[in-house]
Amino acid sequence: MTIEISRDAYRAIEDIVGADNISDDPAFLDSYAFEWLAELVRPNRSHYMPRPWAVVLPGSTEEVAAVTKVCNKYGIKVKPISTGWYHWAAPMKDNEPTVQFDLRRMDKIIEIDEKNMYAIVEPYVICAQLQAEVMKLGLNVNIIGAGCSTSIVASACAYFGGGPSSYYMGNNSDNLLGQEWVTPAGDVLRTGSLSSGAGWFCSEGPGPSPRAITRGNLGSRGGLGTYTKCAIKLSPWLGPPVLEPKGPPPGYRLPIPDNFRVYTIGAPDWDAWAECYYQIYDNNIGYIFHRQFNLAGADLAPALWLNYIDPTKTLNDVEVSAKDPEIQRITDEARISFQFIMQGNSIEDIQLQDKILDTILKQTGCYKVKRFCEPDMAEFTNMYMQRLGHKHCNFIWVGGYMGSWMQPGTPDFVKSYVPVAISGFERDQKSHKLVECGGDAMMGCGSTLGGGGYSGLEQFVSYDPNDNESIDACVKHMEDAIADTAEHGIPPGKELLYLQIGWQDERIWNAMAKMQQQFVFSFQRKIKEAFDPNALGDRNYPWLPEGWGAKTEAPTEASANK
Amino acid sequence: MALEDFRADAMRCTRCAYCKWIPFDLMKSARFSRGCPSIEAGKFHSYSAGGRLVTALSLMDGRSTVTEKVKESVFKCTLCGQCDVSCKMCRYDMEPLEAMRELRATLVNEGHTLPQIEPVIAGLRTNFNMVGKPARDRGNWAKELKVKDLTKRKAEYVFHAGCRYSFDGDLGQVARTCVNILTAAKVDFGIFGKSEKCCGGRACDMGYRNDFQAKADFNLIAWRKAGVRTVITPCAECFHTFSRKYTAQAGSEIKVVSMVQFVDDLIKEGKLKLTRTVDLKVTYHDPCHLGRQGEPYVPWDGKEKKIFGQAVCYDPPRPKYNGAWGVYDPPRDILKAIPGVQLVEMERIREAAWCCGAGGGAREAYPEFSRSTANERLEEARSTGADAIVTACPWCERNFIDATEANGTAMKVFDVIELVGRAIDGEEQ
Repeated sequence: MTIEISRDAYRAIEDIVGADNISDDPAFLDSYAFEWLAELVRPNRSHYMPRPWAVVLPGSTEEVAAVTKVCNKYGIKVKPISTGWYHWAAPMKDNEPTVQFDLRRMDKIIEIDEKNMYAIVEPYVICAQLQAEVMKLGLNVNIIGAGCSTSIVASACAYFGGGPSSYYMGNNSDNLLGQEWVTPAGDVLRTGSLSSGAGWFCSEGPGPSPRAITRGNLGSRGGLGTYTKCAIKLSPWLGPPVLEPKGPPPGYRLPIPDNFRVYTIGAPDWDAWAECYYQIYDNNIGYIFHRQFNLAGADLAPALWLNYIDPTKTLNDVEVSAKDPEIQRITDEARISFQFIMQGNSIEDIQLQDKILDTILKQTGCYKVKRFCEPDMAEFTNMYMQRLGHKHCNFIWVGGYMGSWMQPGTPDFVKSYVPVAISGFERDQKSHKLVECGGDAMMGCGSTLGGGGYSGLEQFVSYDPNDNESIDACVKHMEDAIADTAEHGIPPGKELLYLQIGWQDERIWNAMAKMQQQFVFSFQRKIKEAFDPNALGDRNYPWLPEGWGAKTEAPTEASANK
Repeated sequence: MALEDFRADAMRCTRCAYCKWIPFDLMKSARFSRGCPSIEAGKFHSYSAGGRLVTALSLMDGRSTVTEKVKESVFKCTLCGQCDVSCKMCRYDMEPLEAMRELRATLVNEGHTLPQIEPVIAGLRTNFNMVGKPARDRGNWAKELKVKDLTKRKAEYVFHAGCRYSFDGDLGQVARTCVNILTAAKVDFGIFGKSEKCCGGRACDMGYRNDFQAKADFNLIAWRKAGVRTVITPCAECFHTFSRKYTAQAGSEIKVVSMVQFVDDLIKEGKLKLTRTVDLKVTYHDPCHLGRQGEPYVPWDGKEKKIFGQAVCYDPPRPKYNGAWGVYDPPRDILKAIPGVQLVEMERIREAAWCCGAGGGAREAYPEFSRSTANERLEEARSTGADAIVTACPWCERNFIDATEANGTAMKVFDVIELVGRAIDGEEQ
C-alpha cells in the first residue's frame, strides 16, 4: 500500500528535519490515515483515508518551507495538520504520494500583547492553552464550536471559525491579524501589517492580504499551503484569572462569579426562539450564546446531561431516566432551548443585563429552564461553555457523529429550515440504524457574527462506526438531507462538504461548474497557478480547470463520473 | 480478553486527541497542559492512546507488521492512564488503557519482546522481584523488627512491602515505619519477609501475563494459608495490582488497603498522634496506581447492548473507571495533619497528574524517556515553590531521586510515610 518513491526524497527531507521527525513506517502512516468520517466516503466503509507517503514533523517555518521545496522537486503533495481531525485532514488520493505535515512540534505561544489585545501562536497551540494564558491577563479567545482541543491557527486561517463566544468576540477568521504562510511552492509569505514589517496588529495591510483567496473552508480543509504562525485578536474577560473547577470527572463544575449569569433559556415555539435571538442581538447583552446541549437530541438531552453530571452514572442510567415522568417533563420544557451566559462589567451591569433578559423573555414568551438553571447544572454549563472542553460529547452515544444542515443565516432563515431538518431526521431514524434521539438534534452558535445576526443549526446524526448498516444509514441520511434541501430551495449543508471528500475531481468540478457564481472557481484557478504551480496543495481548494465553467458547457453528470 | 475484543474501541475512536492532554477543564497554563508523556517523547500520533488503537487495528487487519518502530511506539509508554481519564471525559464506550495493555500482551505472546526487558523478567522468574536482586535479601529490611512471620504463623493482615521498598536501601525505612505504625496500632499482622514475592503487576503491564499470573497464584495461596483477610501495602503499584488485578481473580476475596488510607484512618480516629514539627513546604505527587488507577475493582462480566437504536451501553452496566474515585485525599489529609508541613499543589493533580515516568516498564526499557518524564514533573513541583515533592509510591520516589541526582537539583523527595515517621514522637529518624 505504501507508494514507492525515490529514497532520495526521503533522505532530503530527513536531512532537513532529522531522522526522528520523519517516518514511513506503515503502522505510523495508518495512524494518520485513520480518520473520523472516512467510513462515510471511502470504498468498503474503510476507516482509512489514503495513506501518506511519509509523515513529517517540521519544527519551524524554515523547515516547512524547505521540505515543501523538496516536495516540489519530487512531485510529492503536501497536506498539513495541526491537531488533525476530520477525514479531510488526510491525503485525498491513493495514487498520489503525499507528505503529511504533523505540526505538533510548532507549539509555541510566541507573544501575548496584552495592551493591543492579541496573541501570536504557532499551529499546535490549542484554544484551551491560549485561553488559560490570556485569562490571567483579563483576556479571552474565541473557542470554535469544535472545542478547545483545536488549533487556533487552523480555525483562524480558515473561512469558518465560529463558536459559542463568537456572538461577543467574532469568529476566528474575523479575529485573524498578521499571518505567516508557506505556499505550496515553498515560499514564505507574510500578510497584512506583518508584510510591511509593521508588526502583527492588522490582517489587511499595509501590504498584501491574500487570506480570502488562499484559505480553506474549515480547519485543514482546502487551504493552500501551510499556515505556520498567526496573530489572533483577543477579547475582554472579566472572570477569574484561572478557572478552578470543582468535583470529580466528567461533569466538572465551575463556580459562577457574582458578575456572571448562566442560563438555559427555553422557547415555546420556533417563532419565539427566533424573536428571542433578535432581541438579544438588539439589546447587546450576553457573552456566550449557543444551543449546545441539544446535540444529544431534544428527546434525550435532559436525561443525558442530568446523568452526565453524576460521576456514578452511565448510559444505562440514561435509558432509565428517559422514561422518568419528571425527566420527560423537563424534556418538554427544554425542547427548544439554548445556553446563554452573561458577563458584567460590574454587579450593576450584570443586574441590568438580567433585567433586560427578563424583559426579553416576558415579551417573547421564552423562559428559564428551571432544572438547568439550578446550581449543579448551571455550574456545569458554565464550565462546559467557558472552556468548551467537553466537545467530544458530540460522539457520546456511540462514537460516530456526522453534522448535517448548518446553513448559516438570520434566525428567521434558520427557523425556516428547522422543520424540514426535523422531519427528515425523524424519517431516517425509523431505520433504527441511527441513534433515535428525536428529530431535533440541532446545535449551533447564537451568532457566528460579532454582535449578532447570523446563526445556524447543525443536525447531530449519531451512528455506529463499528456497524456497516449504521454507516450506510448515515450516508443515506446525508443524501436524503441534500434531497430535502433541494426540494425546499435551501442550499445544501455540511453533509455535502463531507460527502465531497469521496468524490472524484471531475464530479466536484462538474458541481462547481453548475453553481451560480462558478466564475469564482475559475478565478481561483489563477490563484492556484500562481501559488501552487506544481499542483501539490490541498485538493479541496476550490478551483475549476480551464474548459469547465463560464466559457464552456459543463460536462454532464454521467460523463463526469466516468 | 483478546486484542480483537478492542476492535470496537478502535473503530469508534475519532482521533479527537483528548488522550494527549489533561482534561481541558483543568488546564491552568499552557506550560503544564500536556497529559501524555509518551506522545511528548515519541511525537508521532502512534505514541498516543488513539494512535495505538489504530496500530492494533492495522496489525489485526494485516495492513502493517510489527517493526522496531512499532514496538517502540507500543512499549515506550508508562501506562499512566492519563489518556484513559481524558478519553472518558466524553465517552462511556472506550477503554484505551486496557486496549494498550492488551496490545502489549499480544506482542509479547507473539515474541515481539524488548531485549531491555528480558533480564528484568528473568530476574522475576528466578529471584521473584523486579529490581534484579537476590531473593534471599528480600527480608533484610525487617531484620531488626519483631514482626510475625507468616510463613510460620497466621494473621488477619499481611503487610506486603513490595520489591522496591524491600530492596532499595534508601527507601527501606518507609517499610520499617509502616511496621512500627501497625504495631503501635495493635494490628494483627505479619510479613512474609524473604519469602515475599513480587505482586506481578509490573510484569503484567510489560505484557508478561503468564508471569503475572504465576505471582498472583503464589501470593493468593500464601495469604490463604496464613489466614490473611486483608493485605496492606505502602506501594502504589502493589496496591493497584492487588486491588484491581487480584480481586479480578476467581475465588479471591482479599481486602486491599493502601498504607496511606490506613494511616489517614488512624489519624482521623485519634489513634495516631503526629506531634513533632516537620518544617517543610511540600507538594504532593499522585502516583498513577494509587490515584486514577486506584479506583476500587467492580466485578463485571457482560456484553454490549444498544439502546435508542444505536447508542452503546452494557448489560449489565459496565463499571466506570475514569479516575473519579482514586485515592487522592488520604495522603493529602495526612500531610495537612503533620505539624509544620505546608502543602502547595501543582497544576496537574489527582486524575490529571503527570506521571513520574517509572511505570509500564519505561524505567527499565527507556531510561532516558523515563528520566525526562520525571524531570517534567520535578519542574512542575519547583514551580510551586515547594522544597520537596512527596509521594506514596517507591517507584515514583526512586525515579524522582535519580532524576534530581542526575540534574543536581535541590528538590527533596519524600514518601508520605517517611514524613509521618518524622512527626511521630519516638520514631527512628
